[in-house]
Amino acid sequence: MSSTSPLRNRLPYVAPRVAQAALERARLTVVPRRRTRAPRVPFVTFVSVILLGGVVGLLMFNTSMQQASFRETALRNQATDLGAQQEALEMELQELNDPAHVAAAAEKLGMVMPSTGAGVLHLGSGRISGDPQPATGEDRLPLEQPGPQRPASLDPPPVKQKVKPATDGVPATVQ
Amino acid sequence: MKIGFVLIAMVLSVFAARLVQLQGVDPRSYAKMAAAEGQRVVDLPATRGEILDRNGEPMADTVDGRMIVADPKVTAPVAPELATILSDRLGVDYIETLRRLRVEGEGGRFQYIARQVPASKAEKVVADIQEKFKDDKDRPFAGLATERDPLRVYPNHTVAANLVGFLGENGKKGEDAAIVGLAGLEDSFNTYLSGKDGEARYEVGAGNQIPLGDNTVTPAVDGKDLTLTIDRDLQFYTQRVLQQTVQKSGGKSGMALIQDTKTGELLALADYPTYDASDPRSYPEELYKSSALTDVYEPGSVEKALTISSLVDAGLAFKEQRFKVPGKLHRQDRPIGDYWDHGTLKLTLAGILAKSSNVGTVLAADQFKPGQLRRYLTRFGLGSRTGVGLNGETRGILPQGAAWTSQVGDRIAFGQSLSVNAVQMISAINTIANGGVRVAPSLVKGEARTDDGTAVGTDVATSRRVISADAARETMLMMERVVEPSPIGVAPGAQVPGYRVAGKTGTAQRVGENGGYDGSLTVSFAGFAPADAPRFTIYVVVHSPRAGSGGGSVAGPAFAKLMSHALRRYGVAPTGAQPNQTPVAW
Repeated sequence: MSSTSPLRNRLPYVAPRVAQAALERARLTVVPRRRTRAPRVPFVTFVSVILLGGVVGLLMFNTSMQQASFRETALRNQATDLGAQQEALEMELQELNDPAHVAAAAEKLGMVMPSTGAGVLHLGSGRISGDPQPATGEDRLPLEQPGPQRPASLDPPPVKQKVKPATDGVPATVQ
Repeated sequence: MKIGFVLIAMVLSVFAARLVQLQGVDPRSYAKMAAAEGQRVVDLPATRGEILDRNGEPMADTVDGRMIVADPKVTAPVAPELATILSDRLGVDYIETLRRLRVEGEGGRFQYIARQVPASKAEKVVADIQEKFKDDKDRPFAGLATERDPLRVYPNHTVAANLVGFLGENGKKGEDAAIVGLAGLEDSFNTYLSGKDGEARYEVGAGNQIPLGDNTVTPAVDGKDLTLTIDRDLQFYTQRVLQQTVQKSGGKSGMALIQDTKTGELLALADYPTYDASDPRSYPEELYKSSALTDVYEPGSVEKALTISSLVDAGLAFKEQRFKVPGKLHRQDRPIGDYWDHGTLKLTLAGILAKSSNVGTVLAADQFKPGQLRRYLTRFGLGSRTGVGLNGETRGILPQGAAWTSQVGDRIAFGQSLSVNAVQMISAINTIANGGVRVAPSLVKGEARTDDGTAVGTDVATSRRVISADAARETMLMMERVVEPSPIGVAPGAQVPGYRVAGKTGTAQRVGENGGYDGSLTVSFAGFAPADAPRFTIYVVVHSPRAGSGGGSVAGPAFAKLMSHALRRYGVAPTGAQPNQTPVAW
């Protein structure tokens, strides 16, 4: 505003009337600022929804992660337990499979280890070769090896003590 | 404004000074301290390989075990109560456990309480204790913890314990302490079986792993499985027959071996007495071995089969060759006699072998050129280790050079004055069964490397021709006469009904503990069947049986039992041929 006022003041003296009119027409005026008010509510709602959604989502995600983690730990423990259980059972099975154990169990059922001659039945011809004899329980094999021997120092001979027979009807005691 | 700048400058100078101190003065020690502060190292133990028999049955197996460790700083106040529970439930020694729970000072924050406990048991005990000794803030007891510690089990106890061996602590302390094989194959194949432990390194902050921190994982390389040529069930039967034989004959110890004729695989290798691999500490240490490999003895007359087959191969004798065999043969130092008194006998070479005449064998062996018999015996594998893969094998004693005098040569011809181990001897006899080709004996199926770097196993077993096929067959025919009843042979007890059997008895004087013959004997029987198409070679040896025992009467019946069982187990049909009738006298 301050820059245009010297020009306008000079015009009546310098420019002709026609030009003055044109100038008058072309004169710029300041337009009053239009004040628009955008509706705030939808935006705030939108942001709040996003925020809320994010927080809730994050919470849920976290919870589900935690739950998965709990579940994983539980399943891992279960797997360890089951693994240990399986190994224990396998160990038991191996112990039962010990030939000495099988042989002892078979003997209990009345089976014997054959030491007599065997025959071979040829399936094609039905011929029997060899010298088959019924198995007998004679000459039974020892199924267990004798246990470890203790060193003599740990296996002292039994202590013997002679006790005088009681003479007065009262049994003698050893002090 | 200016005051603010000055303040910032002062703070920055303090930072700069600290930086110079850290990086300029002694950067390494600080870096180390930082690493120690933030870095965790977790050992990833390798799983030890299994030892399996030829059918895949486990002989030594690894199951998931735990070690229980204590922090004495925490356990000391309640040590007696803890020790009571631990000794009750884990069978550990009460006094020792009590001491460990109370250890003070350096290294006192980590003590082994029990090792190689089955996982489920260890976890349960520790969980119960953690529950029972909660602190005042209701937190679980922190003094005991479990760590992974694989457990070795020997489900077959005494079966093949002499071969498999066992694991134990190596007796070192601190960092070097480890569980290693202490006997048998567990020892000789320790590296092969144990694999390589790995480790995981990661950085932690406030107890949690830092996600983008410096993490490195070197995975553990598990040990390899070792498959043996041993047949577990046959091994069991062999051990039982051997035990019965030794006990019945009043003997001190014995060995019994079964070898597959064609492949040289040892199907059973039994020693008596032996120990329980799952409880070795109850047995004396001298049993932690296989006597069939580590102990030498004089083979006696079984060796005559080698002498005579060598003579036949060299073209120096044949089975019907006639010999006049006097009752005594006077040589340089002392007379050589036979185990029975006789006048001059007219025997064929087959008769000399069938009756096991020392005098006859010496007369026949006189045909050898100097050094010739020794070369043959070396080719048969005597005097060198069989290398089946067990530590501590002896090479035996085969005299050479000046030690091979003519007297020694005479005695070696009938099996004295030389020492062998049982695996050497069965492989030599198996050479005759296998048509004159010696197949190196094997204990390991496939190929495996022992700790000293030697590859052993059926894949690398070598074979070499020792005698011609004709000589082997002729020897077999003579050996078949051994199992005829008197007066032809000496070991009718070794016959297997329905099958042709060839074998040789042995009764040798035994070298006692003082280094000289002590009057005790080593009796043995080695043979193979079916004689005309051999499938198995079996060798039974009994040391120090009661007086009057002989190879034919003690070891012969055991041989027959084992052979009969092996033939039946592997479904070998009789060949149907009749035993040969080579004359034994003329």
